[in-house]
Amino acid sequence: MKKILVKTKIQKLTACLLLAGMAFTAVSSVFASPEQDRKSIIEYFETRFVGIPLSEYANGVYAYDTVGRESWEAIEEFPPYEIAIEKGQTMWETPFANGKTYKDCFPDGPAFADQYPRWDKKQAKVVTLPLAINQCREANGEKPLKYKKGSINDILAYIAYESRGKKTHVVIPEGEPGALAAYEDGKKFFFTRRGQLNFSCATCHIQNAGNRIRSDNLSPALGHTTHFPVYRSKWGAVGTLHRRFTGCNKQVRAKPFKAQGEEYRNLEYFLTYLSNGLELNGPGSRK
Amino acid sequence: MVKTIRGLTLSGVAMLLTTALMLPAIQTHAADAVKGSNIEQGKELAFSRKKGNCLACHMIKDGVSPGNIAPPLVMMKSRFPDKNVLRAQIWDASKRNPETAMPLFGKYEVLTESELDKVTDFIYSL
Amino acid sequence: MKLAIKLLLIVVLGFTSTVILAAASDKAAQDAIAAADQARKKAASVKGEWRDTGKIIKQAEQTRKKGDFDKAIKLANKAERQGKYGYEQAMSQQTLKMPSYLKY
Ligand code: HEC
Ligand code: HEC
Repeated sequence: MKKILVKTKIQKLTACLLLAGMAFTAVSSVFASPEQDRKSIIEYFETRFVGIPLSEYANGVYAYDTVGRESWEAIEEFPPYEIAIEKGQTMWETPFANGKTYKDCFPDGPAFADQYPRWDKKQAKVVTLPLAINQCREANGEKPLKYKKGSINDILAYIAYESRGKKTHVVIPEGEPGALAAYEDGKKFFFTRRGQLNFSCATCHIQNAGNRIRSDNLSPALGHTTHFPVYRSKWGAVGTLHRRFTGCNKQVRAKPFKAQGEEYRNLEYFLTYLSNGLELNGPGSRK
Repeated sequence: MVKTIRGLTLSGVAMLLTTALMLPAIQTHAADAVKGSNIEQGKELAFSRKKGNCLACHMIKDGVSPGNIAPPLVMMKSRFPDKNVLRAQIWDASKRNPETAMPLFGKYEVLTESELDKVTDFIYSL
Repeated sequence: MKLAIKLLLIVVLGFTSTVILAAASDKAAQDAIAAADQARKKAASVKGEWRDTGKIIKQAEQTRKKGDFDKAIKLANKAERQGKYGYEQAMSQQTLKMPSYLKY
C-alpha cells in the first residue's frame, strides 16, 4: 500500500517534470540561443554516431566514412592544394601597386583565419575572410577577386594553411542585436526547405548525415567550415565555401544566391558558429 | 455569285491547308509516347537521374548503386494494398511525414501526372 | 492566266488569315510570359525562386519568337506554376520551425 503510494507520487512528479520539460522545449526551440543550438546539434550527432569524439568532426564526412577515409588519407600525403598554397604565399608577399601589402590590412596575418567570419559593427554586417580580402584590395586600388573560382582560392589556401591548429571561435557580440539577427537569419536559411526537390540544408547534413544519397556519404554540418577552401576532385580545383553553397542549392533545384551576398554570409556565420571549438585544418581535399 | 461562293470555299480550303501545314511543328511531342508498357516506362522514369531518381534514396530491384536514406522498395502490394495510397505517397510524401526527406514528386511537378501514373504502376509491381 | 492570279490571291488570303489567327495567340503568349516572370519575381522576393524557372521563361520567349505560340504558352504556364510553388514553399516556412529530431 505504502509502496504504491510512493510510486504514484513519483509518477506525478515525473509527469510534472515532463510537462515542465515539454513547455520548456516548446519555448526554447523558438527562442533558443546560439549556444543552445550548438549544444543541441552536438548532442544529436553524439547520439547518432556513438563514440566519435567531437574533435573528429573537423575531418568532415571522414569522421565516420571509414572506407572513404583511406583514400582521403592517401590523397593528403601528396595534397592537391599544395600549388595553391605556394601561389597564395607569393600573393601575400607581393606588394600592391601602391607598395602596401596584405599585411598592412591584416597585421595578425597570415595566420588569422580564425578571426572570420565576424560581425563588423561599423559596416553593420557579417564580414567573411574573402570579403575582407577584397575590401583590403580595393582600399589599395586593386581589383577585387572573384568569389567562387580562381586566385582568391590561392590566397585563402595560404591563409588557411598558416592558420592550421587554431580553433574556430565565432563570436556573436552581446549588445549587438544586428549580430544575433544575422545569426538567426543564417539559421533560418539552413533549416528552410528550398527548390523543386524541397530540401533544407538540414535534411541532408543533419537528418541524413552518414546516410548515402546514391553513393555519396552525407557529411555532418558540424565541421563543415573547418577546412575551406577545399580541393574537390569533381572541380579539379580549389574552391570557396560559397561555391559549395551554390552547388548544394543548385542540386535541390533552388536558384543559388550571390557568393558573398547577405544570405550566404549569414549562413556562413551560423554554420561556422556550430563548429566553435573545432580545429581549423584547411585547405582540405574532398571527393 | 456562284463564282464568289466558289472563291470563298477555295480560300477557306487554302486557309485550312496552310494551318494544317503548320500543325506538325506543334504536335511533334505526341509521337514519342508509345514505347514499352507502363511498367517498363515507369521503371525508366524511376531510375532516371533527371526524373524520379528514386535510387538516390531507395534500394530497388535491378537498380545500381542505390542510396540508403529511405526504406527499400519491396513487396509494395502488401505495404500498399491500395494503389491510390501508394500514388499519394509519391505525389506528396509530406502528407504522411511533414519532415520527410522525399521530394514532392506530384505536388511540385517533378513528374507529370502521367509520369507519376507510370512510376506508380512500376513501384506497385515490385 | 486569270486562274493563276485567282489561285495566288486565294493562297495569299488563306495565308494572311492564318497569320491573323496566329497573331492573336502571340499576344496570349506574351501575356503568359509576363505572368510567369511576375510569379518568378514574387518567389524571388521571399528567397524562394527555383533553379530552372528563369530558364523556362527564356525558353518560352525563344519559342514564341519562332512562332510556336502554343508551346510558348505551355512553357510560360509551367514557369508560372513554379513561381507560385516557390512562393508558397517559402511563405509556409516564414516562421522557423525547428525539426523534431533536434532536442532542446
Ligand atoms: C540533397 C542533399 C544536400 C543538400 C540539401 C545540401 N547538401 Fe551540402 N552536400 C551534399 C553532398 C552530396 C555533398 C558532398 C559530400 C559531402 O561532403 O556531404 C555536400 C557537401 C557540402 C559541403 C562540403 C563539405 C566538405 O566536407 O567539404 C558543405 C559545406 C555543404 N554541403 C553545405 C550545404 C549547405 C549550407 C546546404 C544548404 C544550402 C547544403 N549543403 C544542402 C548534399 C546536400
Ligand atoms: C531524397 C530521398 C528520396 C527520394 C529521391 C525518393 N524517396 Fe521515397 N522515401 C524517402 C524517405 C526518407 C521515405 C520514408 C518515409 C518518409 O520519411 O517520408 C520514403 C518513402 C517512400 C515510400 C513509402 C515506403 C514505405 O514502405 O512506407 C515509397 C512508396 C516511396 N518512398 C517511393 C519513392 C519513389 C517512387 C521515388 C522516386 C520517384 C522516391 N520514393 C524517391 C526518401 C526518398
